[in-house]
Amino acid sequence: MEVRGLTKTFGSVTAVDSLSFTVEPGQVTGFLGPNGAGKTTTLRMALGLITPDRGTTTIGGTPYAALRQPARHVGAVLETAFHPGRSGRDHLRVYCRAAGLPASRADEVLARVGLTPAARRKAGNYSLGMRQRLGLATALLGDPRVLVLDEPANGLDPEGIQWLRGFLRHLAHDEGRTVLISSHLLSEVEQTADRVVIVGAGKLVREGSLDELRRESAGTVTVRTPQADALAAAVAGPGVAVTTAGPGALQVSGLTTDEIGHRAFVAGVELHELSARTSGLEEVYFRLTAGAEQYAATSGSAS
Amino acid sequence: MNAAVDLVRAEWTKLLSTKVFFWLLLVAALMGGGFTALFTALAGAQNGLPPVGSPEFTEVVAGVPAQVAVIPLVLGIIGMTQEYRHRTATPTFLVTPRRGRVVVAKLLAYAVAGVAVAAVVVAVTVAVASGYGSARGAAPDWTADTLGTLGRSGLALVVFAVIGVGVGALVRNQVGAVVGSLVYLFVVESIIASIPATADAYRFLPGGALAAMTGTGGGGGIDLLTAWQGGLLLLGYGLVAAVLGTVLAVRRDVV
Ligand SMILES: Nc1ncnc2c1ncn2[C@@H]1O[C@H](COP(=O)(O)OP(=O)(O)OP(=O)(O)O)[C@@H](O)[C@H]1O
Ligand SMILES: [Mg+2]
Repeated sequence: MEVRGLTKTFGSVTAVDSLSFTVEPGQVTGFLGPNGAGKTTTLRMALGLITPDRGTTTIGGTPYAALRQPARHVGAVLETAFHPGRSGRDHLRVYCRAAGLPASRADEVLARVGLTPAARRKAGNYSLGMRQRLGLATALLGDPRVLVLDEPANGLDPEGIQWLRGFLRHLAHDEGRTVLISSHLLSEVEQTADRVVIVGAGKLVREGSLDELRRESAGTVTVRTPQADALAAAVAGPGVAVTTAGPGALQVSGLTTDEIGHRAFVAGVELHELSARTSGLEEVYFRLTAGAEQYAATSGSAS
Repeated sequence: MNAAVDLVRAEWTKLLSTKVFFWLLLVAALMGGGFTALFTALAGAQNGLPPVGSPEFTEVVAGVPAQVAVIPLVLGIIGMTQEYRHRTATPTFLVTPRRGRVVVAKLLAYAVAGVAVAAVVVAVTVAVASGYGSARGAAPDWTADTLGTLGRSGLALVVFAVIGVGVGALVRNQVGAVVGSLVYLFVVESIIASIPATADAYRFLPGGALAAMTGTGGGGGIDLLTAWQGGLLLLGYGLVAAVLGTVLAVRRDVV
């Protein structure tokens, strides 16, 4: 899936601004950004529901709307949309018919998401978790290779989130499907995603593997030593940055505490402190999207 | 071709898997039966109605089904606007990104649903007229002429289901579309018909065209179109609304 230069303006708000990124096949891509970053708008444009002002999205080289049988290629959960008076099973049968699939698919996907016992109940009486499952079941009807999910964990309890993570991991890693999953929390996709695409205020902030991001989050190590110059020389090397942080104190990045301790020992440098300050993935994500929130709460109080 | 049939069948599955259709069918049957019973009860010169058994009275009964045209109209409107009201437009247009096809499938599916409504209403009307009419003296004596009126009266219901889909495509808001079209039919058109300067235009409006289809309700010296002109004009209104709706409203962003 290729997104090229997507742009969409609603009145005075530029929801998505010249956004380009690639979703690699067979991987789980986390589509991250704070509230109002333009994730939903981007996904809806990619699926032909919103007409972009500029830009294109292709799936396997073809725009979604030009796919011959889109449900067999791409499954999407954008919101939990169904007629409240229709049973979950009938809801699925409607889209089986429309997509030219056998009606038996409805029962198969119901079983896959564990909704069989509630199949004949009105969808309007479903709990939030059941609605999410029904949405997922709808997306799976055509047994698509590509799944697009917009905040699928919204409103799920911890148990539901656990189930969803396992299910998505299975769909992606065991069945080899391509999954694009949006979230405003990195932690939500941390355990499932291989790659991340991070957006802020409609623009691309970062695109890359989660491992790259993890390396970035390794953070810095604070070292106190009476022999600052000797230590700086001992740890110097490619990919290592050393800065002075006051008299007898250094900040080292690019090495772990173990590595620094070892080099100091070999060089015979005396250490008074060796402490790691890891920023963590969440913090890297926070730093990347800082200032990009559309509706950030003002901090402090007026009292 | 197969895909088109699948889409129409999907619309029927939607229609038959909620209670709306059954309730509207029931209301239509009750209205048709009720009006027929009322006319039969009041038949006779003292109430300004022809006596039971007369060809004129049969003609009145034959026009009854067309009086419930608002029911298939509302059915068609709900059929289209529910996609927006319940946000199912999202999965519907995901499965069928060429949205015009969805509108065409709905036009066809609801035309057939209109046939079902018409069949039930006509059957109830004829049954009540026969049963209650016999009790009051004479069952209607159906001639080729009165059967023709009865048939066109039923056909009007089919056309109004199509118009409903068209109106729903144009006005995506369900309450707005239902209230708007009822106000139009019952308020705006009767005002237009009652003002001499505009009365001439009435025959080209949906209400005037409906009256032309069954040859009733014209009264007041207004010239109506012929039955077939009226029917085609009504169908035209429905299709024009559907085309305009597809171009202007249905293609809009689904957010
Ligand atoms: N239909 C619309 N009309 C006007 N503005 C809109 C519309 N849809 C989205 N927006 C605006 O576009 C911006 C992006 O919205 P979008 O829903 O795509 O963000 P998001 O990343 O999905 O946010 P969230 O995490 O809260 O779901 C927001 O400022 C929003 O107010
Ligand atoms: Mg969103």
